[in-house]
Amino acid sequence: MPDYIEFTVDKFTFKVAIDRYYSMEGLWVKREGNNIRIGISDYLQQRSGDVAFSEVKPIGTKLAFGDELAVIETIKVDISLSSPVAGRVIELNPAMQTTPEIINQDPYGSGWLAVIEPDEAYAHVEQLLDPQAYFARIKHEAEREISK
Amino acid sequence: MAEIDRTRRVVIVPCSGIGKTYGTVSREAAYDVTEDLRPEQTRLVALSKLVLGEAEARSIVASNPAITIDGCKLACATKMVLESGGTVAQDYAVLEVYRRYKQLKPQGIAELNEGGKLLARALADEIAQVVDGLTRSGDGGDNG
Repeated sequence: MPDYIEFTVDKFTFKVAIDRYYSMEGLWVKREGNNIRIGISDYLQQRSGDVAFSEVKPIGTKLAFGDELAVIETIKVDISLSSPVAGRVIELNPAMQTTPEIINQDPYGSGWLAVIEPDEAYAHVEQLLDPQAYFARIKHEAEREISK
Repeated sequence: MAEIDRTRRVVIVPCSGIGKTYGTVSREAAYDVTEDLRPEQTRLVALSKLVLGEAEARSIVASNPAITIDGCKLACATKMVLESGGTVAQDYAVLEVYRRYKQLKPQGIAELNEGGKLLARALADEIAQVVDGLTRSGDGGDNG
């Protein structure tokens, strides 16, 4: 279980796991040896609603930074998620086919999307946010929206 | 022809979520069942009446088996039936039904798109089968 920093806005509490990095759109990126595991942040999953379907690019797919990695369909929206790293998909979460709602239930754990073998281990890391920066970003965004 | 216990009807309680596509699907399915598919065996009860604690609605729910259709995971319809002293014979969540009919993507709120209408109908057909089972049993069915 990772440690979290969290904040509450209105009736919603959002958690940010502190053991990984984040893309601007809300994907988390966690280094595991030479590979990178990717999933959706708690903030993004709560904002997007209950997941109906999740389609992640198949194993073997080569992705450039910013290429579409997955499409998530929720009860509210369809979201195209961009790969936060360049590399090749080497593992998919089988639960995405059968129980994609696991994204909502455990976004930082068993709700992961894919594992990517990156072209360069640290490529684009400068374009990712550390947990504190991501926390500040989403807190500001959530508070701004709730004040509207 | 199946024998119907006419002293009791299966109560259909859909989601009351206004402005939500899945709530609209739940209500369309409920209308399909109660007005079209099984009008003699079912009775529609508005969730809002249970929320307000209306005596007649609570009495109907408490004395008949209920089928609930929830539009989101808050499951208000199911919770309110139980809080009203009723028995949920079968509960449906629109999202789970949609997962079984992926080609029928619901969109729209005041008016559903074609996919939403077909999804509502597919759900209504499933509910009608459950109603048949409950009314055939004559005692309100197995309320598991």
